[in-house]
Amino acid sequence: MDAGRHPNIDVLTNSELVKLEGNAGSFRATVRRHPRYVSEDLCTGCGQCYDNCPVIVPNEFEVGMGARKAIYSPFPQAVPNTYIIDRENCLNDDFLVCNNCLKSCDRNAIDFDDTACDLELDIGSVVVATGFDVYDASHLSSYGYRLYQNVLSNMELERILNATGPTRGHIVRPSDKKIPKNIAFIQCVGSRGDGRESGCQYCSRFCCMNAVKDCKLVKLHEPGIEKIMMFYIDLRAAGRGFEEFYQSSLDMPELEMIRGRPSKILEDRETKDLIIVSEDVETGKIRKARAGMVVLSTGAVASESNRKLADVLGIDLDVNNFFEIDTKYGSPLHTCREGIYVCGCAAGVNDISDSVAQGSGAAAEAEKYVAKHRIKEEPRKIEPLDITGPPRVGVFLCHCGINIAGVLGMDELHEYAKTLPDVVHVENNTFLCSDEGQRMIQDRIIEHKLNRVVAAACTPRTHEPIFRESCELIGLNKYLFEMVNVRDQCSWVHTDFPEEATQKAKDLLKMGVARARHLQPLHQSTIPINQSVLVIGGGVAGMCAALELDAQGIKVYLLEKTGHLGGRLNELTKVYPANLSAFELARAIVEKVKTSRIEAMPSTEVNSISGFVGNFDVSTTNGSFKVGTIILAIGSDVYKPNGEFGYGKYANVVTNQELESIMHDSEGKISIKGKEPKTVVFIQCVGSRNPEKNPGCSRFCCPTTIKQAIRLRENGINVVVLHRDMRTVGALAEEQYRHARALGVKFLRYTPERQPKIIGENSKAEKVDILELALNQTLEIDPDYIVLAAGMIPDEESTSKLQNILKVPRAADGFFMQRHAKLGPVETTTEGVFVAGCAAGPKDISDSIAQGAAAASRAVSIISRDTIALDPAVCVVDKSLCRGCGQCVDICDYHAPAIEISSSGIETAKINPALCKGCGTCASWCPTGAIASMHFTDKQINSMMDALLAG
Amino acid sequence: MAEKSVKTKTKKTGKKFIPDIVAFACNWCSYAGADTAGVNRMQYSPNFRVIRTMCSGRVTPGFVLRALKLGADGVLVSGCHFGDCHYIFGNYKAVEQFEKTKKLVKTLGFDERRIRLEWVSAAEGNRWAEVIDEFVAQITELGPSPLNNNHKS
Repeated sequence: MDAGRHPNIDVLTNSELVKLEGNAGSFRATVRRHPRYVSEDLCTGCGQCYDNCPVIVPNEFEVGMGARKAIYSPFPQAVPNTYIIDRENCLNDDFLVCNNCLKSCDRNAIDFDDTACDLELDIGSVVVATGFDVYDASHLSSYGYRLYQNVLSNMELERILNATGPTRGHIVRPSDKKIPKNIAFIQCVGSRGDGRESGCQYCSRFCCMNAVKDCKLVKLHEPGIEKIMMFYIDLRAAGRGFEEFYQSSLDMPELEMIRGRPSKILEDRETKDLIIVSEDVETGKIRKARAGMVVLSTGAVASESNRKLADVLGIDLDVNNFFEIDTKYGSPLHTCREGIYVCGCAAGVNDISDSVAQGSGAAAEAEKYVAKHRIKEEPRKIEPLDITGPPRVGVFLCHCGINIAGVLGMDELHEYAKTLPDVVHVENNTFLCSDEGQRMIQDRIIEHKLNRVVAAACTPRTHEPIFRESCELIGLNKYLFEMVNVRDQCSWVHTDFPEEATQKAKDLLKMGVARARHLQPLHQSTIPINQSVLVIGGGVAGMCAALELDAQGIKVYLLEKTGHLGGRLNELTKVYPANLSAFELARAIVEKVKTSRIEAMPSTEVNSISGFVGNFDVSTTNGSFKVGTIILAIGSDVYKPNGEFGYGKYANVVTNQELESIMHDSEGKISIKGKEPKTVVFIQCVGSRNPEKNPGCSRFCCPTTIKQAIRLRENGINVVVLHRDMRTVGALAEEQYRHARALGVKFLRYTPERQPKIIGENSKAEKVDILELALNQTLEIDPDYIVLAAGMIPDEESTSKLQNILKVPRAADGFFMQRHAKLGPVETTTEGVFVAGCAAGPKDISDSIAQGAAAASRAVSIISRDTIALDPAVCVVDKSLCRGCGQCVDICDYHAPAIEISSSGIETAKINPALCKGCGTCASWCPTGAIASMHFTDKQINSMMDALLAG
Repeated sequence: MAEKSVKTKTKKTGKKFIPDIVAFACNWCSYAGADTAGVNRMQYSPNFRVIRTMCSGRVTPGFVLRALKLGADGVLVSGCHFGDCHYIFGNYKAVEQFEKTKKLVKTLGFDERRIRLEWVSAAEGNRWAEVIDEFVAQITELGPSPLNNNHKS
């Protein structure tokens, strides 16, 4: 919706790229717009054509479980909200021409002669964000998908669970429409396969969490369900907050977790129940489980159209047919062609928050080529109208074709509106939102000297901006416009009760007019913005953020508390998955920073920061300066084991990170501290997934262990990995895991209840005791080295210091809290302050690079303007009523209110309009009524209630 | 559902009691959810009037009490689900406000079932319809508010 409304974004749907010529910075693209047969300019999305279309076909959006017509809108809330004709199913191409849609459209929006047209666009860069396809589980004949009615895919379950889906949120079996007593989830369908028909080799990453979430939802939707079984190999809750969510799901008494991938599913012909045959790998027993419904967690596969698009773009696909990433930058965003970037699932599987971060990151990369063409907003000069004197309200009633007029008594409403106080003009119109309708409103404002405008039409959420703009263009302050929703929340939902609906519309109109009479003009103010950025932390995320900003010509201060840039990268030898040399990667990035205009400040720490978005005053140990935005890239700490598994007691027990620095390749031999070991044991999840220490999963440790295990094993060393679940998520991680097993690395699982025991003498660990679960026997291993996969924890000192300085809250895991776990991964709740890399939770190098770029892009979105326009619909304090109690200061999550002390020593609150979001919560909290939530004042809201109930 | 509630209404009281219900809906979730119900043409009871606020946290006990004082038979406050609030934690504050409101409402001698707090997301059109139908049915069951002058018997 935001993209669709953005003035600088042209959304070209139903279009494809057919040609791309030129080079980065000066591409010429040919875009083919396929015919829609419905004009985007004329269609209002009213749906009359849909009601009249006689053709019913399966609805793709409902995964075939619902129906749609041949003329349709792909899904609710589609952008643009324009219908489209599916000519394959339309009757107009038959012998008998139907033309029902044509006849029913009041706006003449339908054009059967519409043809494809090519658009030539001059562009600077390209971002590929084409997503993925869902694996078709019918390839796996043993699971009976499409053969047995009650075997569904996870996508089908998503639609069933959806409140607006085909079953209205009720979980029913397709065979008998009854609620199943028990449901089985089967993980890794089409993922972690053999690369042939059983699906791709990689891990699809999101299905585990999706299934865990669905288990909870299933129980919520149908409390009567008695049992939920989940068959899985490793439960990969690898992401911030995921492990905690997974652990909370284990409290459900209905949920049974069964480790092992089922070999086949059979159907009971009579009951249509399903029998799942599997080996429980924890007990080694073959078991048959009965379920009323089976949900296959199908994975993601590359989109079929990738090949064609890759050819047009002149870039490569990888072995899995995803767009290939040029790994030499360590970044997940670069393709092999300069100026073309990739994000989200187009280049491999990602979850939502990583996709969002990559989307912003790719935008930063793409902006490099277009930064010089940035659109400058020209202030419009319009003479304001004289609005003094008592309210003169104009009421405009929209028929919306027959959408409103077909249900409500419009004449009755018209006459009623005339009787309302201060109403001086009432007029009806078929489509108020049309150009002609808007012009009519503008004319009437002048003619009748209207100083308040009320439109009874659709919803302000989509159409208020249009009306407001028309008012503004003629010189009427846009906050003097009020919209009454008589379509979406009246005529559409009370179709069968026209009388009651008309009465409701009258009441709503009465309330709207009452509110309009109390509306006040509000004026936007602007504040200047400082166009420079402070990046705190010179690790990989911070450096990449700084480089992206510098490439766009933005002044950057890069603070590093230690004496040299590079962060954790300096401590590593090889970086997975491409096995880049960490030293080379670090050197290349540091070199780029040094040759740029970035002001790198090593051995520098922040003393204090004051101000707000666009205007931060920064004081450091190395001087003071002003910036517009701040990026926190302070990284994290590695968990230091506190005596676990003999760490600290035995010299040969080390962590992953320590192994990096003591392991050396020389002459084809690998040595640890100069000696060649025979056996190395890795123990995973040390300090992670532990409710007392760090409840979360650190995500990077499993791939790190695999990387190290392969290096050791390739040199003939015995390697045993003791783990709880191998969580090899991310690019190539699962393939590396498979490779490690092929090389002979042994993987044994342990449970938190029965941890491996270390037996040692003097300062050396001699034996590892581990209970082999399937054999139910204790095994003994004699290791030379024991490597503990220690997770990531917040850098307590820096995090708490900056939390106090910037008022950026921390989440329960101790890392900085993101604005939104999914949609705002690099934003904090403080406007103008962003976060990147491990400062917002454990991450690997490539995710940190993507986040660095993402944070840069978000920062640019603020400082690319000279001034920031402040929304006047915010909260304002009446100092004469304020007693300075500070409740508003405590309640606001944006730190907008602050207590000021006047020269006479009186304490009162002041709300910074640059920080206030206008939610009005402080206004509801203020014990003295000193705070007014502008445009939603007590007076305005009360007037609506008074009109409705007392009028 | 709408039909059902209209029927209950006539059956219950004999004399037709149409409740006056004020519904406060937050702009980002609940109001949008009500729009979604419209887009999907879900049919539900018309016996309520929506007042849009930016956040459910904006709804003071004062608003709810004013509505009751003026004779409203029921007041609904609806916001985003936890974790979905456009203003991070506004809905948690709405809970706090609502608890205060509830105490006041009880102290004043109203049946606390006359006020209700609900969460409806922008996608949950049908949930909005269900919430409204349920609440209208509940208020119809409770009968007119003692302060509703139009329905004093």
